[in-house]
Amino acid sequence: MTFEPLGRSLSDFTVELDVYSGPYEWLLALILKDELEIFEVPLRELVESYLLVRRPGAANGLERDTDFAGSAAALILLKSRTLSPAIDADSEGIEDEPLSPEVLAERLTEYLKIRRAAEHLKDRFVLNAGHYTSAHTIAPRQGSLSINLDRVSLAARQAFSRLIEPPVRHLGPITVTLQQLAGIIRTAIAGGPVSYESLTSDMDRMNRAVAFAAALSLAQEGSLTLTQAEPLGPLTLEPSR
Amino acid sequence: MRDQERRPAHLIEAVLLVSARPIGSSDLRSATGLSDQELESALAGLRERYAPESSGIVLREVAGGHLLSTNPACSAAVERFRREARPAPLSGAAHEVLACALYLGPLTRGAVSRVRGVNSDAVIRSLIERNLLVEVGADHDAPGSPALLGVTDEFLAATGASSRKDFPPLDSLVTQEELDRVRERLASSGTAAGSEPS
Repeated sequence: MTFEPLGRSLSDFTVELDVYSGPYEWLLALILKDELEIFEVPLRELVESYLLVRRPGAANGLERDTDFAGSAAALILLKSRTLSPAIDADSEGIEDEPLSPEVLAERLTEYLKIRRAAEHLKDRFVLNAGHYTSAHTIAPRQGSLSINLDRVSLAARQAFSRLIEPPVRHLGPITVTLQQLAGIIRTAIAGGPVSYESLTSDMDRMNRAVAFAAALSLAQEGSLTLTQAEPLGPLTLEPSR
Repeated sequence: MRDQERRPAHLIEAVLLVSARPIGSSDLRSATGLSDQELESALAGLRERYAPESSGIVLREVAGGHLLSTNPACSAAVERFRREARPAPLSGAAHEVLACALYLGPLTRGAVSRVRGVNSDAVIRSLIERNLLVEVGADHDAPGSPALLGVTDEFLAATGASSRKDFPPLDSLVTQEELDRVRERLASSGTAAGSEPS
């Protein structure tokens, strides 16, 4: 997420929120630096604050309105992205499957209870605010050691059990070097452009990978040019002009 | 009051003064060498002495222990002296996450997000930084063994709770009428969504 750099038209706009009090431009900077969580910023109050100080008749009124609308829209987008379920949410997270009415009712009921509990907690936080404890710091002391026999037993079983060897059949001895493949590529492109697919058609997986690395290396040093008309399309190697 | 009679209270007072965390009765006993009876009697006297209406310091029973802290009525002076503002109040989202951890926890980040219906990772990170939430273990039955979150003693102290039992049961927070209303709305919206246009 990026903000278009604001002009200085909003430099005198300050906001007074529970979570922040100061220039609006600094608020944006703090959000972008992750020093202030966007979800903590009440955007409605922010807009209301701006409307209170809006000066439509001022010389730069339109510029101010535009700057504010642009940055506020970016904040809304950022906040909605932050609060939206992750796209790659796994099965343990949030699912996209439509819910049956029964499950939906159950979830709404549960959420309603949590919402009420949250309101109750808010009251308790307010009621108990302003208590400050001793500023005296105590040096950390050693904790008491307790031995959980079940965990000791589990650790012993893991320590003395035979390790399962990871599958390594796909790993063969290294039979080719980057220099060898670079040599093959140089020879191949001496007669003109050649496609990566045809160059590596008779190679195994390892050789193809090394050939690709060699091609990248040659392209970097300027010996050849790699062209690809479209993403994931055929790759062509041709000598540099 | 004779010195001998005052001594247990003095010992407890001194130990409590240097602790920024609640001290449990057993720790107070082992630090002061007092008996159960002496301890209880002295604490009763200290409760009276450090009542909110009679002192700038109050004795609170929070997070399973005893804690001396400043009287909220004097907080403005304390904040001026420490040159720091009171911590920003928590957002509604943060209260919801804490309610999840308190009533449904320990639970994973994914479970919190599922209950709330929105991604809660940023809120959780903020609450962990404020020492109100903590990772208390891992869910070994779930893929990747995600961390389980629970509320901290700091949370109990900040809410003035002695333990989790101090909070009202979750079911008591919503009336049956409210639940019925939710189900009715859901049923009517489902009917409306499923009805054929005439």
